[in-house]
Amino acid sequence: MAASVREKQAAALKRMLNFNTSPLKNTAAEPVWKVLIYDRFGQDIISPLLAVKELRDMGITLHLLLHSDRDPIPDVPAIYFVMPTEENIDRICQDLRNQLYESYYLNFISAISRSKLEDIASAALSANAVTQVTKVFDQYLNFITLEDDMFILCNQNKELISYHAINKPDIMDTEMEAIMDTIVDSLFCFFVTLGAVPIIRCPRGNAAEMVAVKLDKKLRENLRDARNSLFTGDNMGAGQFSFQRPLFVLADRNLDLATPLHHTWTYQALIHDVLDFHLNRVSMDESVGSEASPSGARPKKKNKKSYDLTAADKFWQKHKGSPFPEVAESVQEELDTYRAQEDEVKRLKSIMGLEGEDEGPISSISMSDNTAKLTSAVSSLPELLEKKRLIDLHTNVATAVLDHIKSRKLDVYFEYEEKLMSKSTLEKSLLDIISDPDAGTPEDKMRLFLIFYITALQPPSETDLDQYKKALLETGCDLSSLNYIKQWKAFTKIAATPSNYGNSGTCMIISHAAARWSQSVVINYLVRKNRVFKVFFFQNLPVTRILDNLMEMKSNPETDDYRYFDPKMLRGSESSTPRNKNPFQEAIVFVVGGGNYIEYQNLVDYTKAKPGKRVLYGCSELFNAGQFIKQLSSLGQK
Amino acid sequence: MAVDITLLFKASVKTVKTRNKAMGVVFDLPKDEIFKKSRPNNGFSLKAKEVISNITKLKDFLLQHRKDYVNAGSLISSDLTRMTDNERDQIDQDAQIFMRTCSEAIKQLRSEAEKRVISTQIKEHRGAVLDLIEMYLKGVCKLYSEQRAIRVKRVFEQENQRLVSEMSNLVDEVRQIEGKVVEISRLQEIFAEKVLMQETEIDSIHQLVVGATENVKEGNEDIREAIQNNAGFRVWILFFLVMCSFSLLFLDWYDS
Repeated sequence: MAASVREKQAAALKRMLNFNTSPLKNTAAEPVWKVLIYDRFGQDIISPLLAVKELRDMGITLHLLLHSDRDPIPDVPAIYFVMPTEENIDRICQDLRNQLYESYYLNFISAISRSKLEDIASAALSANAVTQVTKVFDQYLNFITLEDDMFILCNQNKELISYHAINKPDIMDTEMEAIMDTIVDSLFCFFVTLGAVPIIRCPRGNAAEMVAVKLDKKLRENLRDARNSLFTGDNMGAGQFSFQRPLFVLADRNLDLATPLHHTWTYQALIHDVLDFHLNRVSMDESVGSEASPSGARPKKKNKKSYDLTAADKFWQKHKGSPFPEVAESVQEELDTYRAQEDEVKRLKSIMGLEGEDEGPISSISMSDNTAKLTSAVSSLPELLEKKRLIDLHTNVATAVLDHIKSRKLDVYFEYEEKLMSKSTLEKSLLDIISDPDAGTPEDKMRLFLIFYITALQPPSETDLDQYKKALLETGCDLSSLNYIKQWKAFTKIAATPSNYGNSGTCMIISHAAARWSQSVVINYLVRKNRVFKVFFFQNLPVTRILDNLMEMKSNPETDDYRYFDPKMLRGSESSTPRNKNPFQEAIVFVVGGGNYIEYQNLVDYTKAKPGKRVLYGCSELFNAGQFIKQLSSLGQK
Repeated sequence: MAVDITLLFKASVKTVKTRNKAMGVVFDLPKDEIFKKSRPNNGFSLKAKEVISNITKLKDFLLQHRKDYVNAGSLISSDLTRMTDNERDQIDQDAQIFMRTCSEAIKQLRSEAEKRVISTQIKEHRGAVLDLIEMYLKGVCKLYSEQRAIRVKRVFEQENQRLVSEMSNLVDEVRQIEGKVVEISRLQEIFAEKVLMQETEIDSIHQLVVGATENVKEGNEDIREAIQNNAGFRVWILFFLVMCSFSLLFLDWYDS
């Protein structure tokens, strides 16, 4: 898997947009124009991978939603990228009858059933448009790739497969089946795009096991069907450098409920937690003229601005996993380098301007040197402008995050939770923090309390609990999520002793050099608080630990009774003894019930420490702590 | 990895057809549909395709002659394939005119498209199509300008070389002259030396000559004096002789 999943998916999309042939490398090829029609699923898949400009470069003149009013554009081929649902099919048939476009290239995100295909066929016949339907493809792209090594299943209708939906007490079998089918379908598409058949490991007795069983069955069926198998040699293609198959670890959200509630300190996770961040796009209210006002003056105007954080943004790629103060320092550094380059260009400009007026200053500079410098400056101008734009973007984003941190005192929460999760001694009591009026929103306090409750080895006594509840109610928290956590804790206690948080924490190393940078507002704030940043040792979250055990074939009571599935084996064996004794080089971790950036970052850090290993992270949906608490509350109210 | 199910689709079409025949459902071909196809809007795409084909022609033309064009002054090329500068200028001019007409055509299409009252989607689509065509034209123009840049570079290089050879000639000449001047100065030095030597000699000669002149003058004086003396002496002798003869004659008379 030399090419990442994201590259593979983007390549598949580009191929599709080029009428299902490989795009030519010829830069001066004749333009062919086309129209792209997608539904909301398709939109979510395409938007993190291809920007509008790239679409334009590929000849897409218009991109429209399937269920919008579309006018006939008679001599243009149309490429459809939709899910094969009833309403989509109906709309396509309607389009065929209305003769909207010249030719139709239908691409279905996941496989279409035979009956629906016949529906389209009959509509095409009645409209006498059979010749116009040029190509029909099953793309098997029913998942969204956000990063090179991270994917989620879907963004639309994610309530249907959310943690709430899976864990609600009154769930019916049919609903559960439907949810499992959706998840398995997406995972199947994922493995088809990846071009590898994994070895599946999953825990027993929960939703993850059901998913694993179904996925194994589906993969097995497909492999047996030799004629139509999607995993034949040419589909795997080049890039199959590893001779080993990847490991697919299915985890259930119920394994670890503290991590989604955790307050975090790394850049990407902070943005997800604090700002509105979907599909690599940040939207925030930008107040005009409040660049660095620590006093939090009331802004006069609020515009909503959204920024895309893409793979092309080098600063983002480098720093999305860094702790926040490091990010602030780096922004400062980038700004300084940018200013230096800008000054260089200005200096050249002034030298050029002096020519003809005053011979003195230029006599010392040779002409050829000047032209070389000038050409290099001119050619680097677009880069400089782009850099400036990115620096502005990150400055705005970081400032917004910082405002939240300051107003909610998130660093306090982070440190406290770290201590809770690593079972070190607590300096302040929980009650103090909860009753502190200007530390954080009620939601933050609820999160902190829930983490405390989850990680406590014994539940707190009744009196203590009442005290806490009273304090929480005073600050305006909603306690229904606590009910659910109680139930969950009781349930998991029966199943196993949760010793999951014996060693848990996230990587954080902040240098004492923070004191140097007195210019930067962030560091100013933090230094003013006289914080001495300790070095936290890198420790694994539960999911990372499980992955480590399974990948390295370590023996551990937690993972020893995980089930083992190998779709390539002829007989489905029920044994849980893996046949392969070597450690795996590649792994895919999938959390059923939802995941978040903190786990992802932990996995990335784990992978960095082990060269030669690749880990991909996926989840059925991506939520931040706020959304998760809402789900817990609604579960607790039942 | 995508799966092509077009054949499956066509099979479904056949199935549906046979099913419909079996059930006796007949689809009457809407005849006006055929006419509907030849819509007036077709004009736009035809024109656009025309512009594209023109640009492609230009691109092919440029690429075809690129090798000859660029091979300016290469020693390996045979005389047959070399282009004269006139031909190159011709190509440049033609290409420029062509590009100008193409961009005019694009502008025209754009203004036409804006004037017509049609839906926003079609307008957007046409705008984007024209953008694509413009980009294509820009790409081809870039080809042309690259070629041109190479050619201009070549011309400059040739001129550079010419200037260099001229300058080197001048340098040689100057060097020669310099050598000659050095020699002249050397000879000059020798002359000066010799002249100085001669000066002393001439001085002494001058002195001698002055002395000689003096001597001669004195000699002249002396000779004059001597002549005078001589003349005086002669007179006295003559007188004496005359006196003697008179005295003899007297004596002779006396004796007689």
